[in-house]
Amino acid sequence: MRLLDRFFSCHCSGGTAPDAGCDHEGTLLLIGNPNVGKSALFNRLTGGSATVSNYPGTTVDVTRGSLIADHQVWEVIDVPGAYSLEPRDAAEEVATRIVAEHPDAVAVAVLDATRIERGLYLLLQVLEGGMRTVVAVNMIDAARAKGVLVDTAALQQLLGVPVVSTAATTGEGIRDLVGILHKAQVANLATVRDRLAGKTPQTRVNLPGCAGCGRCG
Amino acid sequence: MTSLSMDERWSLADAIAGRAVRTGVYTRSLADALGDLTISPLTGIPVAFAVLYAFWSIFSSFAGDLATDGFMVKLFDAHWLPWLQSVWPDPQSILYFLFVGDPAADNCFEAFGVLTSGLFVSIGVVLPAVFIFYLTMTVLEDSGYLPRLAVLADTLLHRIGLHGYAVVPMILGLGCNVPAITATRILETDKQRFMMMTLIAIFIPCGAQLGIMLAVIPESVGLVIFTLLFGFALFGFFFSRLLPGENPEILIDVPPYRRPTIENVSRKLRIRTMGFLREAVPFVLLGVLLVNILYLTGTIDRLSSALAPIFVVWFGVPPETVGPLVAAFLRKDLAVAQLSTIPMTAYQMFASVILVSIYFPCVATFVMLLQEGWKFLGGAILALMTVVFLYGGLIHLAGMLLGVA
Repeated sequence: MRLLDRFFSCHCSGGTAPDAGCDHEGTLLLIGNPNVGKSALFNRLTGGSATVSNYPGTTVDVTRGSLIADHQVWEVIDVPGAYSLEPRDAAEEVATRIVAEHPDAVAVAVLDATRIERGLYLLLQVLEGGMRTVVAVNMIDAARAKGVLVDTAALQQLLGVPVVSTAATTGEGIRDLVGILHKAQVANLATVRDRLAGKTPQTRVNLPGCAGCGRCG
Repeated sequence: MTSLSMDERWSLADAIAGRAVRTGVYTRSLADALGDLTISPLTGIPVAFAVLYAFWSIFSSFAGDLATDGFMVKLFDAHWLPWLQSVWPDPQSILYFLFVGDPAADNCFEAFGVLTSGLFVSIGVVLPAVFIFYLTMTVLEDSGYLPRLAVLADTLLHRIGLHGYAVVPMILGLGCNVPAITATRILETDKQRFMMMTLIAIFIPCGAQLGIMLAVIPESVGLVIFTLLFGFALFGFFFSRLLPGENPEILIDVPPYRRPTIENVSRKLRIRTMGFLREAVPFVLLGVLLVNILYLTGTIDRLSSALAPIFVVWFGVPPETVGPLVAAFLRKDLAVAQLSTIPMTAYQMFASVILVSIYFPCVATFVMLLQEGWKFLGGAILALMTVVFLYGGLIHLAGMLLGVA
């Protein structure tokens, strides 16, 4: 696989004119804990055929694909699952390296709706790195079945980055996710804390990191 | 950029989740009940045996009895071989020898030409075997059973210096060693990874190999598998004590059971089967061609007489097994098929099948080990040669003590 990467790798600076010999205009990194459905989401987004299984550690290497959205060609990278960006094993090392190599990429932080907290830990770490981010609260169907309700609007207001709920295995919410990619935001964690403490009024007008998607309020 | 400490990050995550997540009344589902039953040792271990037995039964009855014996053998031996023998000109020519093989052969195992044994082994025997193996394995993977098996195997595998999660690469390795080597990346330390990669490459037979063993030595497949697993445990025990490094605990997530979707199962089955057709079949055909050329040029005979002392005295197998061992580097399934054409005793057959399995990883696995770095590969080869000599000799010794060798 590593040999193949050399042929397929291309580093694009997001948004602007493509470099010579590179036809991607931006890069999407699917980042999340193991077994939250990143590869299933990857297959939905790219029409690709990444291996999807129900156990952590299925993806241990980089899988790449393309997505065309908003007249833009995105390179989509299925990052191996990680609990944090302080690597403990070879798969997490790969994940940390990819994140470090693509500071201009848009991060799609994939959370398991039934286990939000640990996904939030990694998400916060991604946000600390200053990446433009959107959040996909995946496995929303499983959460519903378990009686777990995730208030995506509240999550979006707190974090200041777009949040959509998805179910990659059924395709639910994928369109919303694609539609919101260009509204990816850099979050300010100090502001997130202020909002939690109720210091910053959570209104549409004053929301500094407002995704501008109209879903809040 | 704001940088948080680990504690700050966790308390922030907690606070955010507290605002955004509401949990309603939870009712336990059937999947939860099954989840508990299959993970607590008292009920889980019998279930694990039942699952693995079912896995094997489906594999052997479909691949061995139905597809191979019931259909493919008849197709190849009664129609394809006689037809090819009748239309290919000049049975004395080199091309006939290379592509059709022995003109007197009445079955596709013994003919040993590229278009007879090569096609029969890859399409007739191994394809149905890997197809059904991939299907059942995919269902196991997608249901979420594998991590539960890992939890059950944890205590056992810690005895040999591995973590329970090593079961996952092992099971994947029974399909094909190549993805299994990659899957060892979930293990934490270099020691664990090295042990796991080496033990898989040496002792875990792949689906193709199992398929062909079912066809040529159906009566002793069980003993072969047991001997390989015993070797796995034995050398794992020594490796874990001899190799430097840590064997830390790993926390693993056990996902809930999910119903495998037809979409995902068929996608994986398609990818894996296509991968087999694209990568394995050409290697089998190439292997037959190469071995035939080596026979024609007399290389195999020279190798046989040169290595005869080691083979006869140390391993207790006929010197003719050199040919299959050369083929085994390309494809192990081909090598086992070739062994079946050499006249030998049941014990010799058993010992040489073990040798073919452990002596060297197939070329695809070799490339995967190479990608993990020279250090790993060098160490793996060293470990492998030691293991082949010790275990090969040990089996011979056991055979002599039992009076069968």
